[in-house]
Amino acid sequence: MTENIVQYSPRGRARAIKGFLRQFLSHGGAQVGLVCLVFFLIVATMPNMLVGPLQTAINATGDFLVPPSGQHLLGTDEVGRDVLNLVVHGARISLTIALLATVISLVVGTTVGMTSGYFGGWVDTWLMRITDFFFVMPSFVLALVITPVVLEVMGRGGDILGFRPSLFVIIVVIGMTSWSFVARIVRSQTLSLKERTFIDRARVVGSSNFGIMVRHILPNLVPQIAANGALVVAGAIYIETSLSFLGLGDPLQPSWGTLLSLAQRAGAASAGAWWYLGAPGVCALTVSLSFVLIGNALDDTFNPRRRAIP
Amino acid sequence: MASTQIGSGTSQHIGRIITRAIVTLVMVATLNFILFRIIPGDPASLLLGGARSSVTAEQMVAQQQNWGLDRPLFPDQVVDYLWATLHGDLGFSFKFRGRQVTDLILERLPATIALVGVAQLIAIAVGVMLGLYAGWRRGRAVDHIATGASLALYSTPSFWLGMILIVIFSTTLGWLPGYGAYSPGATIGSLGWLPDYLRHLALPVTAVALGLIGQYVVVARAAMSEVVTEDYMVTARAKGLTNGQMLMRHAFRNAMLPVVTLITLNLGYVVAGAITVEAVFAWPGIGGLTVEALNARDYPVLQGIFLLLGASIVVANLLADVAYGLLDPRVR
Repeated sequence: MTENIVQYSPRGRARAIKGFLRQFLSHGGAQVGLVCLVFFLIVATMPNMLVGPLQTAINATGDFLVPPSGQHLLGTDEVGRDVLNLVVHGARISLTIALLATVISLVVGTTVGMTSGYFGGWVDTWLMRITDFFFVMPSFVLALVITPVVLEVMGRGGDILGFRPSLFVIIVVIGMTSWSFVARIVRSQTLSLKERTFIDRARVVGSSNFGIMVRHILPNLVPQIAANGALVVAGAIYIETSLSFLGLGDPLQPSWGTLLSLAQRAGAASAGAWWYLGAPGVCALTVSLSFVLIGNALDDTFNPRRRAIP
Repeated sequence: MASTQIGSGTSQHIGRIITRAIVTLVMVATLNFILFRIIPGDPASLLLGGARSSVTAEQMVAQQQNWGLDRPLFPDQVVDYLWATLHGDLGFSFKFRGRQVTDLILERLPATIALVGVAQLIAIAVGVMLGLYAGWRRGRAVDHIATGASLALYSTPSFWLGMILIVIFSTTLGWLPGYGAYSPGATIGSLGWLPDYLRHLALPVTAVALGLIGQYVVVARAAMSEVVTEDYMVTARAKGLTNGQMLMRHAFRNAMLPVVTLITLNLGYVVAGAITVEAVFAWPGIGGLTVEALNARDYPVLQGIFLLLGASIVVANLLADVAYGLLDPRVR
């Protein structure tokens, strides 16, 4: 239907990518963020190779609440589990939840925003009303009431697609409640894109609405989606940590938030066990900050107006 | 959006604001209604709870009729629900048997308002000023330090800050209490009650305020950075104004616009952050109530809290829109 799309010459595209990377990597924040992120991603992909299988109360290797030592680099928790072991396994769970939730919210946000902006009229009005609701209500507050109810409906046993039900529910709920910002940005971008000549051209050639959206508008939205995606991940980590801290996580697949919740219940703060509550907190903070820094750097790189302001 | 109405700009603007507020409130109430009804088991058996074994089938049916649960979900039950909600009747708690949800919430509200209010004031004073200053001196050392620190604070869960504060100031140094709102034995109104309360308030307030400061610095700095590149700032400098005059007469007022909006809009996030902080400090507010309700699966209380948060966020949005209209003539 649209075989005669003018393609970038391969060399031109390579040059564009190189230029983008040079600009993006010139941000100190982006460098720091990328280094931290790569580190945590490596840790998250092979927790068993690094620290062995997840410790439980049964196969715990240490004494109770021992401060960091040569044997336990980050000390132990209230049942003698190695905190380093818990935190490394937590990385995998926290990052999986945050990234999957972000994928869901980007898909929903882009679909809603693009449909709304492209079709306009009553579709736009109603979709934007729904978006406004999710924009106004903080994702955390929505997740706080929806998660326990959905858990009650589905039960907490068994697993869904390899996740414990509570984690699965948290992923879906965070994803379904944090897309409004993406939708707004995608919509405004679509509004300006659909007036461009190349869209008219595609329509004259006979492309369907769906074809135009997917093949012509979507590729042009990638910069905005990427920059906001990074910020959505940071938000998702924050929400996941808070929800799990309030006891909505799963102790059998502990994320960093669940570890903080366990530390709180064990009275780690008043026992002065700074290593126990410090380690998961620092991890969550570092990953979240990395995504914020990367998101800001992407935004600066793609958005010339912001770039003009140092 | 739907800008097809005919009429003066202002009334159109206000009309749109109010429509949006009403739509949001209706959606909050609808969500509440639906959530409560998709929980397995009907409300009657849920409410009778642990007594289920000793409740006969006849009693159950009688109770269902009594509560109107035998009538159709729509429109009867929806209308009843909305009517009761509008009259402040949020039902009864599961955990605190027989107690009205409204009473429970009202009882806990003052502690949260104290916590959030004081934290907001501190955060506005420190965060906005620091952010505006960083934006004014952008690219300098002050800016780099303030921006870096506030991005880090912004990415930190405030409840974790609270835990760290307890370890440092309560457990290690022993300066401030890290649990509850009163010392054991203290009664409201007794001598030394207020200093005791304030000492208990210090750490939770710091935790909430630090998180907010991070956010306000980021926004205030961005606003100021935008303002200083505007043409009227060039004009102001060309007129021969000093830096101080430029800052006070032109930059400050314009940069405050987005900041004021953010602070008003922020209410939902402030309360959300406060919920987890209260859980850390066993602060007797809405947050503590939320955690108790979550642990006991006390859905009526949870939904009451959701409704309260929803309503306050909607009101905050209304205020933000109105404030924006007052501050920025272009919107009118």
